[in-house]
Amino acid sequence: MSVHPTSGEPKPEGMSRRSFLRTSAVFGTGLAALAAGLAPLLDVKNFPSLQQFMQKYYKELTPEEMAVVLKRIENEVERQYGIRPHVRDLKPMDGVEFVYCLNLTRCIGCRKCVHACVAENNQSRNPEIQYIRVLQMENGSLDMEKAVHDYDPAKVPEKEHFYMPVQCQQCKNPPCVKVCPVHATWQEPDGITVIDYDWCIGCRYCEAACPYWARRFNFAKPSIPKDRLNPEMDYLSNRPRSQGVMEKCHFCLQRTRAGRYPACVEVCPTGTRKFGNILDPNSEVSYILKTKKVFIQLKEELGTSPRFFYYFDV
Amino acid sequence: MKGSTKTSLVIYGLMGVFLLLAAAFLMNLWGQTAERPQIPLVDPEFIKTATVRTSYAELVSAKADLSDFDCYGCHEKGKPPILRFDDKHNLLIPDEHKDIVMGHGRNNRNNLCTNCHDENNLELFQTRDGRELKFSESTELCGSCHGPTYRDWSAGAHGRTSGYWNREMGPISRKDCVSCHNPHSPKFPGRQPAPPPHTLRPPLTQPAHAAAEGEH
Repeated sequence: MSVHPTSGEPKPEGMSRRSFLRTSAVFGTGLAALAAGLAPLLDVKNFPSLQQFMQKYYKELTPEEMAVVLKRIENEVERQYGIRPHVRDLKPMDGVEFVYCLNLTRCIGCRKCVHACVAENNQSRNPEIQYIRVLQMENGSLDMEKAVHDYDPAKVPEKEHFYMPVQCQQCKNPPCVKVCPVHATWQEPDGITVIDYDWCIGCRYCEAACPYWARRFNFAKPSIPKDRLNPEMDYLSNRPRSQGVMEKCHFCLQRTRAGRYPACVEVCPTGTRKFGNILDPNSEVSYILKTKKVFIQLKEELGTSPRFFYYFDV
Repeated sequence: MKGSTKTSLVIYGLMGVFLLLAAAFLMNLWGQTAERPQIPLVDPEFIKTATVRTSYAELVSAKADLSDFDCYGCHEKGKPPILRFDDKHNLLIPDEHKDIVMGHGRNNRNNLCTNCHDENNLELFQTRDGRELKFSESTELCGSCHGPTYRDWSAGAHGRTSGYWNREMGPISRKDCVSCHNPHSPKFPGRQPAPPPHTLRPPLTQPAHAAAEGEH
């Protein structure tokens, strides 16, 4: 190829001018296409800061490091929402195991708990994320396949129906914790299964593993109106989440670990919801489990052993 | 020369494809996220923790108007009111008490005012076992008949609880029976439910509620 057979003149080694231009034109258009394809990346905001990116696992953080992390979260929330929140990291109390009891005889299906929960826990309003689903079922059945989620009559309760709110059952044997590949979710000593939103990779295995459909995924960046942000926050519970992480009911950890009742208990107009420490023999939940007769641990046969009990007034 | 032409063709073809791709990306011809439907914010009424009624004790502590409880503003002392019934033994409620709907107990069998009210002192209650109670002690009165419910209420299992589950960290707040139940017709009234969930996926059939909400 070094000597052209017809002209007899020696051609330069390698690339001719024409093939150089040709190749660079292709390269140029290729790069342009690549750049155009990557252009949407310029629109991405809220990249994790280096500090957040390098943050250690929740259980490995020393109290001093945790203080730095909480400060960072407070700054970030203030930057995004213009409100200085109070972010804490409340630890489980000794001798406390939380149990929830829900009286199916009393529930009228008014969904106040659903929205009190959203307001308390800074859940996304659009797309909507709700931890509690209220199922409407016909009397005499417990067929959740036929349960209605989006009933909306003028007045509840409707005749011949009963209502069953379902949320995270805080299992003693939680399937969601077992499937997490990065240990971003675990069970705390007081029985609450929590999520470290900074450690979650958003694989949604836990969502698939949960038999109660209790876990929610942030498909988009949560949108919370500034005037509805709850500034009382906790690291493991209601601080604003980012896009692509899981979240779920945590028994209002920011309230219950400070001795208060969860938001859903406080808002229930019929006193259907009962919450307390099962290790305290004088608590309401101890009384209910001792004296009431009929219990349902939802999908008991799966062996998840929920800390959430449904009962009837008999 | 033939090989060279082929190479040119391939390369110009590639250029064309790249240019088209670049144009497509710039004009954002695909991968556009669908417009998210607007979801109206929930009415703050639904997240209020107030009970459905206000008990006498709460009215007193709120320094509200108590003229409704001033029986001897109209009645005469020492003269028990006379109850009148129709031929089916339904209590005839006088016009002055028109706001009272009698519905305590089934089959209209508990329609005697004096079952609870003391005819000799209208500003007191009387229990069946002969105790006299003030308006603010109405829960004791209810408990004199509704034993199991009263027992559950005392243990915190019936009725509203708010405040602190941990009594060492703060007080628990309990409500009287009449904070939720109307004593004259105690069955808990139906109420409007809060809006149902909006799913990410648009529903196959438009629920009537969503259509109605889109208007305002």
